[in-house]
Amino acid sequence: MAKVELKNLTKTYDKKILALEDINLTIEDGQFFVLLGPSGAGKTTTLRCIAGLEKIDSGSVLFNNESVTEDQPASRDVSFVFQQFSLYPHYTVYENLAFPLRSPMRKLPEDEIKTKIESISKMLKISNKLKNKATELSGGEMQRVAIGRALVREPSIYLMDEPLSSLDAKLRESLRVELKNIQTNLNATILYVTHDQAEATTLADKIGVLKEGKIVQIGTPEEIYENPNSIYVSQRLGSPKINVLPGSLFNINGNTSTFGIRPENILLGTGNYSGKIISIENLGSETVVAINFEGHEVLSSIQGAYKSSINETINFDINTNKVLKFNKEGNRINER
Amino acid sequence: MDTSRSYLEPSSFSKKIAAAIIIVYTVITLIPISWMVMTSFKNVDSAISYPPEVLFEPSLEGYVNLFTNRSRQSPEYLDSLPPPENWYEELVRSREMVITGPSKFLGRYSNSMIIGFGSTFASVFLGALAAYAFSRFRVPLKDDLLFFILSTRMFPPIAVAVPIFIMYRKIGLGDTHLGMIILYTVVNLSLAVWLLKGFMDEIPKEYEEAAMIDGYSRLQAFFKVVLPQAMTGIAATAIFCMIFSWNEYAFAVLLTQFNAQTAPPFIPTIIGEGGLDWPAIGAGTTLFLLPVMIFTIILRKHLLRGITFGAVRK
Repeated sequence: MAKVELKNLTKTYDKKILALEDINLTIEDGQFFVLLGPSGAGKTTTLRCIAGLEKIDSGSVLFNNESVTEDQPASRDVSFVFQQFSLYPHYTVYENLAFPLRSPMRKLPEDEIKTKIESISKMLKISNKLKNKATELSGGEMQRVAIGRALVREPSIYLMDEPLSSLDAKLRESLRVELKNIQTNLNATILYVTHDQAEATTLADKIGVLKEGKIVQIGTPEEIYENPNSIYVSQRLGSPKINVLPGSLFNINGNTSTFGIRPENILLGTGNYSGKIISIENLGSETVVAINFEGHEVLSSIQGAYKSSINETINFDINTNKVLKFNKEGNRINER
Repeated sequence: MDTSRSYLEPSSFSKKIAAAIIIVYTVITLIPISWMVMTSFKNVDSAISYPPEVLFEPSLEGYVNLFTNRSRQSPEYLDSLPPPENWYEELVRSREMVITGPSKFLGRYSNSMIIGFGSTFASVFLGALAAYAFSRFRVPLKDDLLFFILSTRMFPPIAVAVPIFIMYRKIGLGDTHLGMIILYTVVNLSLAVWLLKGFMDEIPKEYEEAAMIDGYSRLQAFFKVVLPQAMTGIAATAIFCMIFSWNEYAFAVLLTQFNAQTAPPFIPTIIGEGGLDWPAIGAGTTLFLLPVMIFTIILRKHLLRGITFGAVRK
């Protein structure tokens, strides 16, 4: 495993479409790093640049402080889990898993390949599918094999491009847990791309938030959630999503143009403010209540069920300590 | 009777019409071929008898004549010979002839094999490489180049026969296997590039990217991952190339005489006594038909998918 650094990395497509601009990030050895951002933000491009599938315009890619910027994908020794289409359809599951180990870069003896594949397939619960053709698998099994093909070797870094996005919710959750366990056991360096915030917060040691080809914030999941540096970042995490309201609304002082407050910090029942309930959404462990306050929709989430009805007027208060203040550009105003 | 049926399913009446059309078409196509096969099993007299004989006593004379050279001898000389050693000598002697040696047919046939399969392999191999490059790389002037490649098929190849004849004579490629392989490859290559590019475009590039990350070079990934996926296209392309170079007549007449002459210009020149030896020509043509037929049957399961491929988006 290796420490992976990107320095001032810039990538344009067709010499005009700027995909990545001046990306700087460091993934420590053994770290689970998640790149978070909506589609088109440059997440996949970042992975492809690290893998060597894209030529970068400027900047450098370093593995353990050594530049691999000019190296071919094969010699970089990374493994990649693609979002789809990654199994070789003309091979069996076993041959798919053996493919990287039989490559001219490694050429492992067949008995060693066999032991590796057996242990990996046990871990991913695909032992009984080894003789199947890759095309005779369900979506979940295919993705397990794809992950398995990445895990059979110990590369510098595992690159994963939304590997769970094509799976159904139940399988996604169980594979997510498995993946985190595997990463902890192997102490693997992983760069994982997703737009799913639950994956980001549960898996990541560190999260990097991408916006239009630029890294806007890097931090632990807690930092990103508690202390986002812009409205954009604050909206990446949290469900139900953060309330973003004009600064004048709750007498927030300073030159605040907008502020954000997470739904759990809107306290219902008593308080100085009141509004009409628009909707009540019972999610089991929590209930999301939408309130119309001076023409703005304010979401509040409270533990457990909430007994009330739509159009009822309700009093509420806000936890002013948790208010995130933003200036006109949408950047965070630092209090201190 | 079941009166309910799907609106998408053709009615049994239209199915019957379709079957009738197919049967009529098949019969029309098969009549000349079966007549040719029948001719190959007739003897010289029944082959040209009028009215034509549909029922006849089969004979292998055509095949014997195809493979041998013979000369007519006097009955006295024939009587002086030891008794015939095998059935075909006996057959020839019954016509008052003796076998003087093997004919050139086998040589011409193997020339056809070498040139046909050689140029098919070269067309498909080069075509696959070019198609892959056009499909995956940012080739400058890509569209113009593709159009230029196709433009070589916008006139009949024979239109350039004279310049090619002169050039081949100058550089010593006339009447050589290599010359014919190059010529047929050039003619087939544009078709191969265009057909295969369509197939390559359909193969997601993630496959070879995955292979490259798994430790293979691009060329290795091409052979290990892309080519097996393109098998359908390769089979379809190979059949088309094979049919062209196997059947090509005009260039073969012009450019080959002895060394590299293929079967098509040879077969119609088989002369018997007092005219063309129709059973031998029939036999030659029947045998000539077999390799392409076998080749097509082997690749048939790819062919049907190959032709319709790309028409239906997944």
